[in-house]
Amino acid sequence: MSDGSVAEREPGPEAGAEPVPDAAAEAGAEPGVEPGPEANAGSEAESARARRFSVASMLDGFFFVFAGVAAVWLAWLVFTQSFEFGWFGIAFFLGFWLVLAYLVLPRLHRILTTIYVPDYFIGRARTSDGLLGDPVNLAFEGSEASLHAAMALAGWTRADDVTLATSWRIVTSTITRRSYDEAPVSPLFLFGRQQDFAYQQEVEGNPARRHHVRFWRTPDGWLLPGGRRVEWLAAGTFDRAVGFSIFTLQITHKIDADIDVERDHIVATVLTANPNAYVEVLRDFSTGYHSRNGGGDTIRTDGDLPVVVVSEVPIGAIEAGPADAAGDSVPVRGADAAASATGRGADG
Amino acid sequence: MSAPFERVNVEKRPAYESPASLARPVTPPTSMRRPAATAVGSVLVVLRVIAGIVWLVSLWAFWDELLREQLDITVDPGTDEQAATDAVLAIILVFGAIVLVVELGLAVLVWFGSNWARIAVMLFATISITSSWVESVAGNAEITLRTTLVTLALDILVLLALSSRNARAYARRPRQRVILHRK
Repeated sequence: MSDGSVAEREPGPEAGAEPVPDAAAEAGAEPGVEPGPEANAGSEAESARARRFSVASMLDGFFFVFAGVAAVWLAWLVFTQSFEFGWFGIAFFLGFWLVLAYLVLPRLHRILTTIYVPDYFIGRARTSDGLLGDPVNLAFEGSEASLHAAMALAGWTRADDVTLATSWRIVTSTITRRSYDEAPVSPLFLFGRQQDFAYQQEVEGNPARRHHVRFWRTPDGWLLPGGRRVEWLAAGTFDRAVGFSIFTLQITHKIDADIDVERDHIVATVLTANPNAYVEVLRDFSTGYHSRNGGGDTIRTDGDLPVVVVSEVPIGAIEAGPADAAGDSVPVRGADAAASATGRGADG
Repeated sequence: MSAPFERVNVEKRPAYESPASLARPVTPPTSMRRPAATAVGSVLVVLRVIAGIVWLVSLWAFWDELLREQLDITVDPGTDEQAATDAVLAIILVFGAIVLVVELGLAVLVWFGSNWARIAVMLFATISITSSWVESVAGNAEITLRTTLVTLALDILVLLALSSRNARAYARRPRQRVILHRK
């Protein structure tokens, strides 16, 4: 079959032997002291540029934008149809909202934010539509295993991956108000990557309200603005209700505006449960003290960034932690990837 | 006075990102599950095939009526005319069936992550959408639920699903061999 040939002909930096991930070169590495992608050897940069804009890629870009424009037309057609069928038109109006909120606006936001939102670290995660999402308000130091152990001991539950099955379960549990304490969290992006994992705590068995925090591993050698090296960045916010996003009109969780309360809650639970962990605070780290997240909810912060050091947390502690965290959060990266490729693949 | 550390010459950054980054290839992870966009896209192509089957069957069932009312041709059974119109019908049905079989094959290939099949399906959808739009603007055909809204909607949904970043990443993910042969 020849469909693999395009990928084979393009041994990009991601497929090559370069140990530096692509995201590090393109999204993360902008502290000013690191050479950008352009500063590489000339011939290499040129071939990279040619590869970047191959015919297939240009077609992809064209289809991406064309589909967005066509979707606007579809929304308009469905909208005009809603006046043709009397009371049945209400169903068409619902269809119009679905098309607008879940197809048209995300695609338009995606196209526009690609151009107007800077693609380097600005202390904010981005939603899957490219909008500015939750602010990065926590940093961690330590291995992935230590981090999992520390969170599990602190009474946090690892969130499921988003699949059709788990998405359906979060809808039904929200409607029936049944508990779902491993409910998946929506993907947010940092360094061009979705969060590596997320932890949460359900409140009063109500899936509409929960503490949750997303984690991203920073690229190798990447420094925070100011020069501090951390291994993990995290964004913690409190979901207080379910409502409409003002940017996409989608149904989403609304977050509590006072994000410092949630940040301090996460730090406090980790420190209380892990005597070996300690915290260093970078004062006034944030560049924005008042803002909005991806759903349009206002956020305010004092701007501090706590760096929680969990390197000393014993990894063995994870077995002694809460039982619900043990199964899904095997602290080995390779094993986790294998599980999602094989075992978990079946239930989606 | 010597600089305390070496300055790297960095080009001035524009205030906006290049629109060309919309066409930048996504960097898919090595192991990737089939995203919902790919699954939905190929299911929608199958729905288009079903719509095509319905259209062909109704053409076959109402062929005589169509000839009488639209083209003003009445055919008597057993004549040469009958044989000729039957031949035309057969050609249309066979040609339609071939197109539908090809489309079904593309749907299967898209499901298993073929990139060229995905591009082909999107190309057909783009042509179909553009021709519908030209027809509606030229004033020949009004697009309503009773005419072509369903097939047009299917075309646009297919295009949206398969052009999404997830579907793109899945079709262009690096792999050792074609997924069809993987256990």
